[in-house]
Amino acid sequence: MRISYFKPGSLEEISELKVQEGSHLFSGGTDLFVKMRYGVFKPKMLIDTKGVRDDPKFDGEKLIIPMNTTYSELLDMGEVMKDFPLLEDAMKEVGSPQIRNRGTPVGNVCNASPAGDFLLTATVMDADVVIAPKMRKMKLKEFVKGPGIVDLKNGEFLYSIEIPRWQGYEHYFEKVGRRNAMNISIASIALLIRFNGDVVEDVKIGFGSVGPRIVMYEDLEERMKGMKLNESLVDEISREYMRRIEPITDLRATKRYRKILVRNLLLKAFHLLKGVV
Amino acid sequence: MKMGLKINGEFKEFDVDPSTTLLDLLREAGYMSVRRACDTGTCGVCTVLMDGKPVLSCAILALSADGHEITTVEGLKDDEDFQRLLDLFLSEGVDQCGYCNPGFLITAYAMKRELKNPTDEEIKMYLVGNLCRCSGYVGQMRALKKYLGVEE
Ligand SMILES: Cc1cc2nc3c(=O)[nH]c(=O)nc-3n(C[C@H](O)[C@H](O)[C@H](O)COP(=O)(O)OP(=O)(O)OC[C@H]3O[C@@H](n4cnc5c(N)ncnc54)[C@H](O)[C@@H]3O)c2cc1C
Ligand code: FES
Ligand code: FES
Repeated sequence: MRISYFKPGSLEEISELKVQEGSHLFSGGTDLFVKMRYGVFKPKMLIDTKGVRDDPKFDGEKLIIPMNTTYSELLDMGEVMKDFPLLEDAMKEVGSPQIRNRGTPVGNVCNASPAGDFLLTATVMDADVVIAPKMRKMKLKEFVKGPGIVDLKNGEFLYSIEIPRWQGYEHYFEKVGRRNAMNISIASIALLIRFNGDVVEDVKIGFGSVGPRIVMYEDLEERMKGMKLNESLVDEISREYMRRIEPITDLRATKRYRKILVRNLLLKAFHLLKGVV
Repeated sequence: MKMGLKINGEFKEFDVDPSTTLLDLLREAGYMSVRRACDTGTCGVCTVLMDGKPVLSCAILALSADGHEITTVEGLKDDEDFQRLLDLFLSEGVDQCGYCNPGFLITAYAMKRELKNPTDEEIKMYLVGNLCRCSGYVGQMRALKKYLGVEE
């Protein structure tokens, strides 16, 4: 069957086309075309969003990433990236230069894969998303409902992602894959933490690839606040994450392997950040 | 649908079906240095420069490249720096079957323009999307370190 292709020049036109049955938006196409090639998706109409072009910017508090902004463009922002080291670390590990020159954070978030590196990092950084055409704003964590499922109504699409700066925080990012950055990860961690001496003032911890969505436990983060980061706390907390997380067994790793990996990633993060354990 | 591309400095017009990829278009137009293997964005043999940056032509719809500038190995044959890269690949005996070669050359050419004095690790990270099934990458690393001027 023939596919039709459109590249509208305004948000309104994108919205009008998106209402039509069998239509699919794309920017870099690095997720969508691979799925089409495998026959997972059979769109009737492809809507190229690259007809609308806004630049990413830092407004002094948050980084605003509009659709069609690629990873390479963000990484080339130089000075600005120094304020977003966790994001920078994660983006540098997305795919290859070829993928980073085309792939976009907006595509990564809309793909809503629990293995998405940008999705993981932006979730930990408590990003907001702005939804066109009415520019409705909501929390990224509420926007992503499950694997491949996002909160978009008919005619709506993602316009931008807004990520606050986390000043005074230390960070850690790591993904574990079978071979290298090109493979989908077995498990990944993104972490932000602020200390006062040895005492944890604030902490955010997220895991990717170990559940249908990005996994974060607010009560465990709360439990760490005001505590001295020592061996017994790290041991207790990492065991609790391991106990709670319910990953699946798939081609890449077993459930048991992933559970142990989650604990070890936390131990490693705290060891490298604070020399604990 | 009608579209235009500047390929290796020459403006060309095409009439394509919307499902055509940039890789399909380039091969049908005779740019045989651009190879096809996985066709799903993982092996790098279809790498071309789009507006000077390496991209995977198998993962780009031809229509969404409309108006852009594409460079393939054919377009670099008179480029002195590229010639040097070719010579190094030959003298270091890099290739075995050679299927991965054009993708590697294009990516290496782009790397030289993007990274200054890269470490071994940075060179490998840049090449993470270019697979070679024969060689084990030792020859490539040898040639590339000379090309990039970072021999120890
Ligand atoms: C070889 C290879 C390696 C990869 N490595 C990684 C990796 O290391 N880490 C990682 O996280 N990902 C990786 N990916 C996946 C992919 O490249 C990224 O998720 C990328 O960010 C997707 O961006 P895109 O613009 O190409 O998305 P697209 O394919 O254009 O779109 C992705 C999805 O989002 C929808 N969409 C796009 N734009 C909008 C919009 N504005 N509003 C609503 N929906 C929209 C599309 O319909 C589609 O379902 C890899 C892919 C390949 C092929
Ligand atoms: S053919 Fe394009 S990456 Fe393999
Ligand atoms: S030389 Fe054969 S694939 Fe690289």
